[in-house]
Amino acid sequence: MDDIDHQNAGRSPCPEEKELTDEDELINRPDNSSIVDGLGLRSIIDLLPCYLSIQDRSMHILFANQTFKYDFGEGIGKLCHEVYKGSPEKCEACPVQKTFNDKKVHISEETVQLSTGEMADMIVYSSPIEDASGNVEAVIEMSTNITKVKEMQKELKNLGQSIAILSHDIKNILEGLQGGAYVVDEGIKDGDMQLATRGWDIVKRNIDEITVVAQNILYSSKKRELKYRKFSPNRIVIDVADMFQEKARAMDINLKYETNQALPLVKLDPLSIRRMLENFIWNALEACKKDKAKHFHTVVVRAGFHDRFHLKFEVEDDGVGMDEKIRASIFDEFYSTKGSDGTGLGLLVADRVIKEHGGKVDVLTAPGKGSTFRVIFRLH
Amino acid sequence: MGNLSKIVIIDDNPDFRFIMETFLKRNGYETMTAGDGQKGIELIEKERPDLILLDVMMESTYTGLNVCKKVRTNPDLKDIPIIGISGMADELGVQVEKWGDEDYFKVDEFFDKPVDKEKLLPRIKELLEEGLIKKGKAVRIGGKLYPKK
Repeated sequence: MDDIDHQNAGRSPCPEEKELTDEDELINRPDNSSIVDGLGLRSIIDLLPCYLSIQDRSMHILFANQTFKYDFGEGIGKLCHEVYKGSPEKCEACPVQKTFNDKKVHISEETVQLSTGEMADMIVYSSPIEDASGNVEAVIEMSTNITKVKEMQKELKNLGQSIAILSHDIKNILEGLQGGAYVVDEGIKDGDMQLATRGWDIVKRNIDEITVVAQNILYSSKKRELKYRKFSPNRIVIDVADMFQEKARAMDINLKYETNQALPLVKLDPLSIRRMLENFIWNALEACKKDKAKHFHTVVVRAGFHDRFHLKFEVEDDGVGMDEKIRASIFDEFYSTKGSDGTGLGLLVADRVIKEHGGKVDVLTAPGKGSTFRVIFRLH
Repeated sequence: MGNLSKIVIIDDNPDFRFIMETFLKRNGYETMTAGDGQKGIELIEKERPDLILLDVMMESTYTGLNVCKKVRTNPDLKDIPIIGISGMADELGVQVEKWGDEDYFKVDEFFDKPVDKEKLLPRIKELLEEGLIKKGKAVRIGGKLYPKK
C-alpha cells in the first residue's frame, strides 16, 4: 500500500512547460483530431480501459463508467463491496475509506468477482473529490485488471522454485557420481574387483538419472512441433519396457508388458509418447524402490483398448502408492515427494505430452496399494 | 584415535550409505548404517556412537530432523555430535538459524551434497575430539589431544 501526497500529486508543471496558445494547438493537432472532438469527455471516460466509479461516504456507487458496467453490472446506487466482492462487509484495506479519512490518494490490490463469476486481481487507486471548503464529498475509484501480471508473477515464482528443486536433484546425482567414482578408485587401488564393480554400478545408475533429468529439462523448456506418424502402440510398449529391463532387474522389480494384437496403428507423435511412457515407468520403478514393505515388486506396462474408440496405455506398479493430497499435486510444476529422484519434472513432461495429444490421464492409487497411470487417447 | 571411534550413518539412499561407509571405514572408523530414521534412532540408542552422519531430508515420516530432536532431547545422547547432510543444506542451514530457540534441531555441522570428502574428514576428527573432551575422556594441551586417565 502506498500513500501519495495528494496536495502535490501531478500538480507542479515542468519548468519548460508553457501554456499552449490556440496557434500552437492548431500546429500540434493531428489531422484526425475531429475523432476526439466528436467523442466528448463522457464517452472518453466510458471507453477508458479501466474501471472508474465514484463512491459516497457510505460506499454507495454514484457513478460508474461503461467498462465498469460491462464487467460488474449496472452498480449505481449499490454498495461497492457488494458489487466488487458480493460481500456485505467493507473491504479490510478499503482505499476509498482511507481517502475519505485523510484526503490522500491510496493504492491497494484487491481480488474481485466479475459479473461472469470469474475472479480477477485488481490494482485500485482512490482519489478525493473535495467541495469548496475542502471536505471530501466523494471519492473516485479507478481499478485496473492485473490478473495477467499476477499470473506472470506466479510463473516466475514457480520457475524459481523449479530451479531450486532441479539443483537439488542434480546435487544428489553429483553425489552419486563422485561417490561411485571414489568407490571404483578404491576398488582398483586394492585390486578389489567386487568393490570396483559396485562403485561402477552406482556411477551407471546416476548417469541414467542425469540423462533422464537432462532429457526432461530439454523437453519442458522448448516448444516442439508434434510429428504425427502412424505406429504400433504394442511395439512402443515393448521397446520402452525392454529399455528399462536391466534397471528393473537390478532393483528386484519384475517389469512386464501386456499388448493387444487387435490394436490398430495409431497416429500420434511416437517420440513424445515414448517420453511419456519412459517417465511413467521411471516413476513406477521409483515408487517400488520406496516401498520397504516388500522385497520384490512388479511393474506392468500395457497397451490396449479403453473402449471401441479409445486406446489406453497403462503403467501399473505395486509400490508405495499415494494418498489423495499427493495424488492431487503430482502434475503440479516440478512436484516431487522428495525432490531427489528427478521424477517431479518427469510427470510434468508426461502430463504435457498427454495434453498436447488431447488425451486424458487417470491415476488410480492408494497408500501401500501401488499406482496405475492410465492414459487414454482417441483411436482416430 | 580414529580407529576406535564409532560412526552411525543414517540415509535412505543405499548408494549414499555404501559410499560413506566405504569412505569412513577406509579412514579408520567403525561404521554402522540405518536406512530410515526409526531404525537410525534404535541403532543410536543401542550403539551409543561417537558421531552421527545424518541425511536430514529422508522421505519417511521419521525424518532426519526427528532423529535430531530425539537425540538432543535424550540426556544420555544429547552430546553426540551430528553432521547433517542434504542437497538443500543452504536452505536448511538458514532455517536452522531461524529455529534458534529450538536447540533440539541443531546439528553441529551441515554438509551440502555433493559432500566434499576432503573437508568432511577433518571436521569429523574435530567433532570427535570435542566429543571426547566433553565426555571427560581427553584433554587438549597445547593444541594436542591427550587421553585422560
